[in-house]
Amino acid sequence: MPASAANNRPEDLTARLGVGAGAAQGEVLLKALREVKNQIIGNKTKKLLYLHLGAVPKIVSVLAAAGSASDDSGGISRGGDAAVIVQAAAAIGSFACGVEDGVRAVLDAGAVPHLTSILSHHDEKVVDAGARSLKMIFQSELAPKYDVLQEENLNFLLSLLDSDNENVTELAASIIAHSCETNEQQKALCDAGVLLRFVSLLGGSSNQKDGCLESIAAVIKNNPEVSSRFSCTGNGKALNALANLIQDRYPQTRLLACKCLIAVGHASPCYVEELQIKTKLVLVLVELLEEPGQVGNEAPFSLKTLIADDEELHKQALSVNAIEKLCSILQMSSVQARRLQGILLALAELCSKLEKCRCQLMSPQVLNLIVDALKHDCMDVRVAACNCIRNITRSLKTFYGFIDRSGCLQNLSAGCLSSEAFIVRLVQLLHDPSTSVQIAALGALCNIVINCATRKSVLIKCGGVSQLVQLSKSMDSVLRSKSVLALRNLMFLADITDKEFILKELTLCTLASLIYDSECFIQEQALALISGLVDGCSQSVKHVFAQDSIILDAVMRQLQNASSIGVCIQGMFVLSNIAAGSESDKDTVMNYLVPPQTDSCIPSFTIKFLQSKDILLRVASLWCFVNLTDPASVGSSRRVARLQDAGIVLQLKSMLNDPCLDCKLRVRMILEQCMELETAQA
Amino acid sequence: MPVRVVESSTPSPDSGRESRTGRPPPPSSSLLSAGRAFSGTQNVSSLQKDEAWKVNVRIQGIDLENGYLCGTMEALNVPLADTPVVTFWEGELVDGNNFTFFTRKWEATPEDDIRHWSKFPSFAPLLSQVEADGGKNMDLSNYPYIFMRWKEQYFVNVGIDCGLTIAGFYYVCFSCSDGSINGFYYDPNSSPFQKLELKCIPGGCSGYTFSSYQLL
Repeated sequence: MPASAANNRPEDLTARLGVGAGAAQGEVLLKALREVKNQIIGNKTKKLLYLHLGAVPKIVSVLAAAGSASDDSGGISRGGDAAVIVQAAAAIGSFACGVEDGVRAVLDAGAVPHLTSILSHHDEKVVDAGARSLKMIFQSELAPKYDVLQEENLNFLLSLLDSDNENVTELAASIIAHSCETNEQQKALCDAGVLLRFVSLLGGSSNQKDGCLESIAAVIKNNPEVSSRFSCTGNGKALNALANLIQDRYPQTRLLACKCLIAVGHASPCYVEELQIKTKLVLVLVELLEEPGQVGNEAPFSLKTLIADDEELHKQALSVNAIEKLCSILQMSSVQARRLQGILLALAELCSKLEKCRCQLMSPQVLNLIVDALKHDCMDVRVAACNCIRNITRSLKTFYGFIDRSGCLQNLSAGCLSSEAFIVRLVQLLHDPSTSVQIAALGALCNIVINCATRKSVLIKCGGVSQLVQLSKSMDSVLRSKSVLALRNLMFLADITDKEFILKELTLCTLASLIYDSECFIQEQALALISGLVDGCSQSVKHVFAQDSIILDAVMRQLQNASSIGVCIQGMFVLSNIAAGSESDKDTVMNYLVPPQTDSCIPSFTIKFLQSKDILLRVASLWCFVNLTDPASVGSSRRVARLQDAGIVLQLKSMLNDPCLDCKLRVRMILEQCMELETAQA
Repeated sequence: MPVRVVESSTPSPDSGRESRTGRPPPPSSSLLSAGRAFSGTQNVSSLQKDEAWKVNVRIQGIDLENGYLCGTMEALNVPLADTPVVTFWEGELVDGNNFTFFTRKWEATPEDDIRHWSKFPSFAPLLSQVEADGGKNMDLSNYPYIFMRWKEQYFVNVGIDCGLTIAGFYYVCFSCSDGSINGFYYDPNSSPFQKLELKCIPGGCSGYTFSSYQLL
């Protein structure tokens, strides 16, 4: 009826929420509360409207007043008050459900202490309403963390867990799942017997089971001690209960049970080591991928966590068509950001190791969707898409296409991943406001630019090099190291024009400062980049001597002072490559290794490297001497004489039986070259 | 490198991959590394005429742990082709762990395997053990030769109707001393024992150069 409708307008109802005590007015209030509650349930727009009208503080005041009236009556609540409390608590819970602003308003109005106090009300309906409402609040990330280390709080939680009321035990589970974060908290809860209680509650209602499973996961996560205590509970009863619950009829329960077993498996692997359990988990999670809503959104994340770094589980997932299912979800018309992120991360994990997994992804449709995700509004999705591309391009196959009978490029993945638009998009992500996206894009670019001339030239043409150079100067060491690695990979087998371009953008000065970087990994990458520059019979070697040998000096200084073996190896390969050049290049390297004026004082590193326990360092050093003693070079006899005088030939002879075959063969090669030169001279 | 089409053949799906037991260390050589180039010839002579094609090979990637390597092969003076024909190949390193001397696929029986491997003089000392079990768990890490199989996967720059086939595969022997490579092409439908001979290209004007990349 029009009159009644007017009375139920949110503005009117909100005004009536402020009505004071009195039987008649109490009824008006109760009706208003009930009406507000009914209007906002499942209706986000209405919730926001009432929030705007300031309904929440009024309802909390009503709750506070009715609660204290109840107390004042010496514990004998009037029926009217109880009904008001129930409606007020229910309305508050509803405001806190699914709307962040609602949670904020409820918290700001101070609802939590009032709701907590009604948990001890003698009327079960009031307790139910309070517990439900608080559960809604504690399901939000915005809810305050409950300090479980305080004895009083812990006792309160235990008392809730001991309740026969399922809403109350579920509330305790919610609070624990929300608040338990540190090892200390996990241990305190475990010591207090909380896990034992949860296991006993796993036989309850579906909601109770889910609440307990979420809390169990929170209490054991990354805590080997607590996890193994849990696993031993009741001689494995707890684990058996979880194993049964992964086959529960409710998808949410299956997912949560999987999460618990994954948490146990990661914290104390010995309890979940049998492949059989893990295979079952893979199977359950792959089935859950297709569930709608939150379960489907979260399942790929759990699948990714379960199979992380485990080749055997990757194979299991592949055998139950995980990639196929993930790809078919990816191809649905609109996929929520969270779900898309999870799917891309799961695909990235599956493609991280096995070639046959990557092959399954190599359809142009799927690759295009992954490439499209690079443009997604959500930062996490962009990161996940970059990670996925990075792992796909670990396969060198993706670099090559082939042409079919009609002349079309058949390895379309190669085409897709070499397309200009795709590489340009990745380069654009190097400018992304989020550092995580920049790092992820660098990861993808590092692999993409390795072997393919087309990709190298697209990256260069679209300004990628200058952005990589900019990032190589970043204060963030991760950005710096990945951008230098990308430049190193770009330099690998690049043609002379591209090499010169990269160096021009980078400048010798920046390159020298990267060789001196505070991070060893970056020094190593910078030196490897120089090896790439000087590789082959090219003119690029002149750059290491330019500007008063700024680069060569930096290389030598690092070789003399470096603490990292990796830096020494790359430094020696630089010298080796220079020594493969002209007569004067060889002499320059020789003069650095064995200074002419002070033959007796060889830089300590020369012999030290030949005696190193690291095979690759010995190999790199030996190649340098192979090149210095090349019989085809006119100055080699002179250099051999100096190596003899400096005791290096003697050191080489002592390596004739080097345990490493490669070293032994290089030593033989050098000594044979020395003999050849001696014979020729004689 | 591709050879002329005689008749199409389909590789069997069986894998030559052996179970991971014992895990001897993988054979390795600094001359068998990503980026390294090799140059030489493949003898494609038939009863009718003597013929050899100039061949260039470049290693594009190598993963010792999984016994995998891959690269490109360029055949330069192929009579039926207007341009050099480039193929992409993938290889198996015989390491006694991931792969043994027995191919177990690509239509090669253990007898075919032994017959081809025996063409390499350096294989002679290994023969008796290989005959017994294919060389499973054999420690080849200190052997101065590395044995491999290279299987061309697809043409990179020409269509599959170019009149050439890549149905077969190569038995390959790499010398760790000088990086030279010998190989024999095996395809039941092509001329038998087509010999591949490649020399390692040092890279520098007067010596060996090295460059590398790192996958993330």
